[in-house]
Amino acid sequence: MVDALNQAVETAEAQTDASLPHVGSDGVSAPPSPSPATPAPEIKPANGAPAKTSSTGIPEPDRGGPLPPLDDALFPPCALNDRYLIYPSKALPDLNSPQALAYKAEDRREPGRPIFALICKPGLPIRTGLLKELRTQGIRGMLPMLDFGPLFWSPIDQTTIAIVFDRPLGGRMLQSTADRFTRITEYEISKVIFEPLSQAISELAVISYAHRAIRLDNLFYMDKERKNLVLGECLTSPPGFDQPAIYEPLNRAFAMPSGRGDGMIYDDMYALGILSLFVLQGNNPAARFSDDEMLSAKAEKGTYQAMCENERITASLIEPVRGLLADEEFERWNIEALDQWLNGQRKTPIQRRPATKPKAPFKFGARDHMTVRSIAQAFSKSVPEAIKIIRSGKLEHWLRTSIDAPEIADSLLEIMTIPKGHEASLDAADDVLVSKVCMRLDPHGPIRYKHFSFLPDGFGVAMAVEYLRKGNFQIPGEVLARDLIGFWAGVHEKKTVEISAIERSFISLRNFARINEMGYGMERCLYELNQTLPCQSPLLNKTYVDHIDDFLSAIDDIADHTDKRSRPMDKHIAAFIDTHFKYDVTPHLKALSDPHEETSLIGLLSLYALMQWRMKIPALYGLSSWLGGLLAPAIGTYHSRTTRRHIEQEIPALVRQGSLPELFDLIDNADRRTVDNSDFEAAQIAFAHAEVEIEGIVGEGIDQKKVALEAGERTTAMLAITLSMIATTVIIFATTM
Amino acid sequence: MARQQAQNTGQEELRRRGRSNLTWILLVLTCLVVLAGPTMVVLFLGMLPTVVALIIDRTKQKSTTFCVGSVNFIGVFPFIMTLWTDINTFDAAILTVSDIFNLLVMYSAAAFGWFLFLTMPPIISSFVIVLQQRKVAQLRGEQKDLIEEWGTEVASIVEMRKTAKQEQHMEHGVEGTGHHRGHRT
Repeated sequence: MVDALNQAVETAEAQTDASLPHVGSDGVSAPPSPSPATPAPEIKPANGAPAKTSSTGIPEPDRGGPLPPLDDALFPPCALNDRYLIYPSKALPDLNSPQALAYKAEDRREPGRPIFALICKPGLPIRTGLLKELRTQGIRGMLPMLDFGPLFWSPIDQTTIAIVFDRPLGGRMLQSTADRFTRITEYEISKVIFEPLSQAISELAVISYAHRAIRLDNLFYMDKERKNLVLGECLTSPPGFDQPAIYEPLNRAFAMPSGRGDGMIYDDMYALGILSLFVLQGNNPAARFSDDEMLSAKAEKGTYQAMCENERITASLIEPVRGLLADEEFERWNIEALDQWLNGQRKTPIQRRPATKPKAPFKFGARDHMTVRSIAQAFSKSVPEAIKIIRSGKLEHWLRTSIDAPEIADSLLEIMTIPKGHEASLDAADDVLVSKVCMRLDPHGPIRYKHFSFLPDGFGVAMAVEYLRKGNFQIPGEVLARDLIGFWAGVHEKKTVEISAIERSFISLRNFARINEMGYGMERCLYELNQTLPCQSPLLNKTYVDHIDDFLSAIDDIADHTDKRSRPMDKHIAAFIDTHFKYDVTPHLKALSDPHEETSLIGLLSLYALMQWRMKIPALYGLSSWLGGLLAPAIGTYHSRTTRRHIEQEIPALVRQGSLPELFDLIDNADRRTVDNSDFEAAQIAFAHAEVEIEGIVGEGIDQKKVALEAGERTTAMLAITLSMIATTVIIFATTM
Repeated sequence: MARQQAQNTGQEELRRRGRSNLTWILLVLTCLVVLAGPTMVVLFLGMLPTVVALIIDRTKQKSTTFCVGSVNFIGVFPFIMTLWTDINTFDAAILTVSDIFNLLVMYSAAAFGWFLFLTMPPIISSFVIVLQQRKVAQLRGEQKDLIEEWGTEVASIVEMRKTAKQEQHMEHGVEGTGHHRGHRT
């Protein structure tokens, strides 16, 4: 989507994502005149620093403020799935999500039911898989979702996803975490926070999803009495995308927001721990730290210690808070542990093993680092200095002497030893070496490369966001080409099933990326990793096609208002089809990539014909007309002009039928082609024979007059001989008779 | 050098074959003179214009010889028939050829043969030229039809042949240049 491309989703800095330009700022999706006032969505991923400075210090993502009102007449309500009317002129800014704007909605079947709709910002990958699950299955303790679907949203003149929810009558639990709020006491917290939220987390876990948007500003009361607390939505952005870094476990917090990965129930439990701490304390105990400092403190002391060392936590709550904030997943409380605690079964508090303190800190970037994890994070942010200090051997020395980790030091030496002749290779570039060193120092942290930091399960979303932001796949492509994920898999001492699966998956992605043909390349990797991402083809920039069943009809719809000289195909479309279409289209894509225009066109037609036939789509008038107009070079593959004329005359009739298989049969009929070829060969031979004859008469070096005179002489001689024979016979007869 | 050697060998062969033919002709003529002397006398003296035509006709087809010879023979044959039906002796033969009127008949026939040969071929050749031009036009028309139906690619075989021919010429040219250079050195 063109708009989406122009919408930078995040900055390259992992923790300092910038806001995006408004949709419509490029004019493509600008609101229709005369109203300039649009609910221009602004995609601003959550970042470590709170959007607003507050006395509580609790970070929250920016959800945008009230928008200028839109004229009812200019922007009439839009219907979602023929049931829900969504009013563009009736914004509900209090219910905005960081990546979606809220509007009043109405259920045609149940008028009066309090509902609202979130309009997603186009381009950002949303959690379609979870949306589909929630359509059929409600999650207790979570804002009930009623329906969703693509919707043409008139204020931005673009199709995007709208999601309808039951309206929380009690509103948001905290309108803003920036303001002081009444602390929830240790007696209330179980009932008010832990019970509903653990209910939601466990029900999501049953369907194999994690919420990944559990934070204080995402809690709502469903009833006016403000008793029934629920978790807000987590559907309008990638998992963890809007979470301030403090809510994320260390390994995910180190990654950029789009690269945090799908996560698991453990990540939700961690966020619940942070949330409960904020609720209990009424502020953020780590507010004095910057993000980097907060993460370093967490890495060095452990989350619980870093967050609570100067806080007074009620004794009865130390156990769950410590359990939920455990940095190691295997130590962290799961739902069962929390349930047991809620049921009154007390456990012995976890005694966290303090991190081994180094004999001396490691100085880098004007800071003293006490752990390899914080060193890795600091290295990733200043590669030139990092490579200098690595090459100087100081890090290796520190690893051997201060923390007694000779095995890490040895493997760093191995990484930095470049075989002779490979010094100038891309694999030996500083960025690659530092990235590998970071992986070795922090194997459980994200892969960090050129400010592109991600966990392997978040690579797909990170790549999608990077593409939306920059319009190219440069850095994700380099990540694949340098096989950094293969290296990441190698630094893990124990190769788990998950790591092996990731490794295999990336091997196939590398193979896709290497092939520079239609249906492959980085576009293919994008759709393979983001199965629910809508097709990003510029041709489909105003529509939303995330399912192959909708693809042909979408192309058919745009045919009437698209330049018919362009082809209804590009690398995104080819990759999208190859990823989602269940039948083998390799030969079609091969033909499509052919440098010869006619072969490529036949490949294009055959691909769409196959799709129409397999998907049993009755008629595609627009697409047939579009393709019919492009087929001149394909028709030109027939030698016979008569055949060409015949085909040209037949095309309009088939276009009127909207049948691509028949159009393909007309253009590339095997029998007709065989006859054409054999007739053409015969014509070539006939032409050559005629030429030989002509050459014999008037060819080079032949004196036509001389030849004719010789022929005349021969003829005269023959005549004379004949005459002589006749005369002789007559004389013999006359004499003898 | 090789080509010149081959040429010389060919000429030698022709000369040898010519000598062999002459031997055979002389042998046959001797036999004929022995067996049919009077006829041979009339035939030889009556057909002298044909012998002249044979001598001056340097073409391979010998059309002049055949044309003059055939008509000349028509003039000579009645006298041979007279010899064969009346008295077939050398005296009768000498008598026949010594009669100026007889010779006039024979040589007039030869002259008619010459007349035929000089007048007919240009007439026939003009007809032939017209026919050939029509044939070429017809073939060109067929080729044009083929091009209209199949496009210029239909001439690809012809084009390929022409290209190959040109390449061959070029190669020969290069060889020739090399040959000359070789001579100089």
